[in-house]
This record gives sequence, structure tokens and C-alpha cells, in this order.
Amino acid sequence: MTRISEHPILGETEKGRRVTFFMDGKTIEGYAGEPIAVALKAAGVMVHRYTQKAHEPRGIFCAIGRCTDCVMIVDGVPNIRTCITPLVEGMKIQTQDGVSGLEVSE
Amino acid sequence: MKRYDLIVVGAGPAGLSAAIEAARCGMRVAVFDENAKPGGQLFKQIHKFFGSKEHQAKIRGYKIGETLLAEAAEAGVEVFLNATVAGIYLDKELLVQRGEVMEHFKADTIIIATGAAENMVTFEGWTLPGVIGAGAAQTMMNLYGIKPGQKVLMLGSGNVGLVVSFQLMQAGCEVVALVDAAPRVGGYGVHAAKIARCGVPFYLAHTITKAEGSNCVTGVEIAQVDDDFAPIPGTEKHFDVDTICLAVGLSPMSQLLKMAGCNMVDDPRRGGQVPQVDENGETSIPGLFAAGDVSGIEEASSAMIQGRMSGLAAAAYLGFLSEQDKDNRLADLEIALDSLHQGMFAPGSKGKTIAKTDEGIAVSQSLLKKGYLDDADLERFINRSDQTDKKSGIHPVIECTQNIPCNPCQDACTRGCIKVGKTITALPRIDAANSCTGCGMCIASCSGQAIFLVDEDYAPGYASITLPYEFLPRPQKGELGIALSRSGRPLGYAEIIDVRSAKAYDQTTLVTIKVPVEQAMTARFYQPETNAAGQ
Amino acid sequence: MKSINDRSQDIGPFVSQTDDAIIICRCEEITKGEIRQAIHDGMFTVNEIRRYLRAGMGLCQGQTCGKLVKNLIARELNVIPDQLDPATSRSPMRPVEMKVLGNEEVAHV
Repeated sequence: MTRISEHPILGETEKGRRVTFFMDGKTIEGYAGEPIAVALKAAGVMVHRYTQKAHEPRGIFCAIGRCTDCVMIVDGVPNIRTCITPLVEGMKIQTQDGVSGLEVSE
Repeated sequence: MKRYDLIVVGAGPAGLSAAIEAARCGMRVAVFDENAKPGGQLFKQIHKFFGSKEHQAKIRGYKIGETLLAEAAEAGVEVFLNATVAGIYLDKELLVQRGEVMEHFKADTIIIATGAAENMVTFEGWTLPGVIGAGAAQTMMNLYGIKPGQKVLMLGSGNVGLVVSFQLMQAGCEVVALVDAAPRVGGYGVHAAKIARCGVPFYLAHTITKAEGSNCVTGVEIAQVDDDFAPIPGTEKHFDVDTICLAVGLSPMSQLLKMAGCNMVDDPRRGGQVPQVDENGETSIPGLFAAGDVSGIEEASSAMIQGRMSGLAAAAYLGFLSEQDKDNRLADLEIALDSLHQGMFAPGSKGKTIAKTDEGIAVSQSLLKKGYLDDADLERFINRSDQTDKKSGIHPVIECTQNIPCNPCQDACTRGCIKVGKTITALPRIDAANSCTGCGMCIASCSGQAIFLVDEDYAPGYASITLPYEFLPRPQKGELGIALSRSGRPLGYAEIIDVRSAKAYDQTTLVTIKVPVEQAMTARFYQPETNAAGQ
Repeated sequence: MKSINDRSQDIGPFVSQTDDAIIICRCEEITKGEIRQAIHDGMFTVNEIRRYLRAGMGLCQGQTCGKLVKNLIARELNVIPDQLDPATSRSPMRPVEMKVLGNEEVAHV
């Protein structure tokens, strides 16, 4: 379990509505309003993008919108910092490859 | 262009405190913060703060954040979130991005309270997904309720590394090791002891040589370093982990001050590039102030005081506060700030090797190298000549061996068993002339979780030990588990004979275990047997 | 104190190191070796390295690597890092889309 169901100090985490969204064509569930990166983490997604030059994988690094390592293509727009962008129902997220979408076999 | 008497950049502890004081003086105050939530890092701080009553000691960081927000709202402070200050120009003009629009604001005074950014360290594979900053770990688990990983290695033994390691375990992660290139633990010994007794091994004078994995972290390799911090071949160790957490210090985020044209200095003791400021945080530009970590890395308690000071100074600068009122109020705050700047971890002590406490007791080398006190340390610290502990019946044992500014234990004991005295960095002493009732308030009020209640006469051949417990599941009375030593070594079975929680304990559960009497001074933690079996 | 701007000083030849392939600037994927080579090419300041290699000029604007680059230059020039100026601070402090940067609000009346 990646989500913390009950925390000894904070108790239960308040969550928004449970919604579905799409990641490289696959349907994933998350909570509305939480950062996209959190919903992806809960779904076990580690790689957010591959870099332009070396095609190396990158994921969450600072989680506060500073390092820009977790950027992905969100609803067609590249370079969106997923750690600070709230999840909205039906969002289409794509693994970013350089600044384009990663080709995924359907 | 909108105009304010004061614009504060950053809604963290320093910025909010500044805004509150200024608004209470009658100023029109706006606070801009680039984040979606206010409070800076306060809402990720789930541990109890150190200090004294006036520093809000023994209150958890996120609760202090809630109080600050309520006070700011009551004082009429306008807090703008998702408002990124993109630039600062002559005559105190700011360019702010809000949504899809760039807006201009003008202020007569400005307080920059932008905080700090995490330092980084490089090693092979450090860009792999799974290598994260300690701040990222805190954000994920304490704000969004998600584990950063299952098995984590922490790099950095400063207070951030130690506190976040403990928080990782509270979130249900396993911390496989704590690593630091320095030869000694950098943060508070009490924080180190909290994780050492959970069984986390410390690797001082070690560094990460490699993050392993192709698409994400699957392991890590560490190695011992020589005096020049170069890895020593042949000393490599491997751990299976999915997460590597970096906590290697902070740097002031002072770019806005530099952009504004303030005189800057590079001061390693303050964490890097910082503005030249006077005692109230005023920079070389009149009416432009800096408060909190941006003018020198400390912690939230001092940031809040610095914020209040700059808020008052800004109010006086514009005539909202008389010079005399300003001086009177600043004098009190200066005393409060000064008391946080004392002891072994004071800014002035940075980099110095301290051999003895203020009381003249040789410091624990074991604590600095392994994270826990050894038997010889106990002789020096616990069985001290300045304590009149008679050791019969229940009594507190305080394993607080470093001079840090903190004294809630003294206030907690209504019987007067615990004495810190006026100097809040002094080590607490036990005065057994006043008898302990076993109420446990001292345990719950110790931010370092360093107080235990011990009763060697609990039953023939058995002692009881009451300890602070902040993990789930909460042990149940009658349960049988394992008693752990200060180093997390299993000592044998322990029975839970009491479990107490109360509002006054603030989420800390007081767990009383029954152990063989010879473990009275060695057993310091409890592990449910299900966990023990799994390890 | 050594003058950092003394371009005539001899910092010796570039000698490759085993960890030269490590990424320093995560955004622009600039390696330690590239930065060290640039210093030997005569780029002695953080600003020069930025313009020469784009290290610190990517999406995050040098927020992650700024100090790392500074320390590398200091080591190569054999000075303490405090003697080196950080990169120039200028607006915009954070990544912003051109359409937003151009969308300035007209004065409130």
C-alpha cells in the first residue's frame, strides 16, 4: 500500500472525490484536487518523462514545483509540473519524451 | 497597479509572523506565496517544536501553522496563493504572476521571507526516479498522505535528515540506514536516538557511491570516506531500497533580494548568499527587509521571531508604530531570539567540535557516531552528582545530554521533580526530593522523546518503563512484544501493562512495558511481535 | 585573495576524472566533465558557464544545480566558493509561458 490509510499523528488524510484519469491511454484512479504526481505515485508510476538528450528516466524529485523534473504532457500541454498541478477528472496525462509525448503501443 | 503599505513575499512562518505584526499595527498588508497552500514548510512539520513556552515549544509545527493562519486572517492580512513573485524593481514594485496574468503591485515596505531551497549532492544515478529530496518526502507523506517509498535510505544526519527519517517510519516506511559523509551526527542527539532505538543503523563517514536501477531506484551502494571525503575502495555496502532521500542542507532563496539590489554577502555559516541586514532584518535598501531562512538558515522557531521583528520594524518605518513602542517590543523579541541562539547548536558553534557540556560533562561520542548513548555515557549523564535521584518507586530518567534551547519538561512537572533553571540550554536535573506521581506529562512534553518513567520496584524481579510512542498500530494492554535497547537490539519479551493517551499528550501515546529488572536502564523501545517476526 | 577574474592564471591542463559523466544540471543534462572542460576553456564565473553550456538555463533556472556549479568552478580554480558570485538574478524568477509573461494586466481604475 502506497497510500497511508491512517497516520499516528495526522489521523486520516482528507481526500477529494475519487475520479478516473488517463495515463498513456490507461485508465487510473486518483482523488480530485491532489497533485497529479501523487495520484501517479499511488498507481505505482515512477517514470514521468525521458530526457531530451540522453533519454534517461526522471520522476518526482523536489515535489514542490522547483526542480521541474516531474514534468509531463497534461491535456496536450508539455512541461506541466505534475507535483503542483491538481488532478482533474478525465485528464489525459502522457509520459514526456524530450518535449513530445512518448510513443506507446496501444 | 495595486498599492499596499507592506508586501510580504512568502507565507511561511517568517512571512506570516511579519504580516500579522504589521497588520496589527494598522498597516494594509498583502502576502504573496507561489504555493497553493500557505504555511511554508510548517504543515509538513509534524513533530513537537523545541524551545520554551514563548517559542511555542512542544506544539507540533502544523498546529503552529494553523494558529498563524487564523491570526493572519483576524488581523486582516490578505494572503494571495498561487501568486508567484516574478520580479522586484526599483521603488518597491513587484511583478506577480497570478494564473494567466502578470500583475504589478507597489508597496511602501517589503519583507522578503522566501525561505530556503534544498542543497543537492551528486553520485552515479542521482537523477533516477526514486532519488528524492527530504522535503519531497515530507510533502508526499505529511501533506498528501502517500508513502515516498517502502524501503528508504536517508543521506544526511542533520536535523532534517533525522526528523524526516522518523517521519518516514511514522508513515509506515522502512528506513534501512542513515548515511552521512561527516564523521559525526549533525543534528540533535535526541532526534538521532529516536531513530536509533527503532533499529536504524547509522553510517557516519560514509557516502552514497551509486544509485542502482535502470528505470527507477532498486538499490544503493554506499562506501566509507577518507578524511578528504573520497570513497575508500573495498568498503562498499549494498542495500535494497526503492527510495534514496537527500537531506544535505539548505540554502537561502535570496535571488529576489539580489535582484532588488541589496548588498549581499556569501556567508557559509548562514547557508550561502544572504543579504546584509541589521538586527531587525532591514537590508541595505531602507524599507526592504528579509526574515527567516532567506537571511540565514535556522529553523521555524527563530524564523517566526525574526518575522515579527521585521514586521514591527516595517511598521515603525512607515510611522504606524512609535519608535518607543517599537524599541520596547523589539527588546522582548530579541531576548526570545537570543535564547534560541544558545547552546551547542547555536549559529556561532557551527563547525566547532564540542568536547564538554556547559555542565562540564564529556559529551557522548557514541551518540555522535551511532545515534545512541552507551553505558559509560549513562554513568556520566544519568547518575550525575548534581541529581538527588533516590531511585525508589517510579521516577523520570532524562536522556537529554546536549545543551539545546528547550525546557518544556520543567513546566510539565507540577511536582517540581525536573529542573532546567533560567538558562534554557541547561541539561534538565532531577530533584527526587519531590516525589514523582508517574503522570507522564514530562514524557509527552519532551519534543526530543528523551524522557522515560522507570520503576525498578514494579514487581519482584520486574521493572516498568513508560515510553513515548508515536507509531501505529498503538499497542494494546496485555499485548506481548519485544523490548528494544537504545540501539534497537531486541532484549527479550516485554508485556504492555498500560497504554495512555490524553489530549494533553497531543498524539503521543504513553506505553508502559514490563521487563526484567536488569533491563530497567537498557530497554527503551517497544516493537510489536508481528513486526519483529517480519524482520 | 586570489583574483578570480585573472584570466592569465594557470589552472593546469584538463585532466579527466572517473565521475565526469555525472549529470550536474538536471534540466539541460550538462555533465561534470563538460563543466570542468568549460572552466579550462576560460569560463571562470557561474554566468559564463550558464551562457557557454546552458547549465542552469533550463526549466528550473538553476535552482537545483546553482550551488553545484559554483562549487565545481571553485574547486577547479582552487578558490573557496564564497569568492564566486552566483548567477545574475533577474525576472522572471520562475518558469512562465511567453503568453502569460506578455499578458500584463492593465492598470486598475
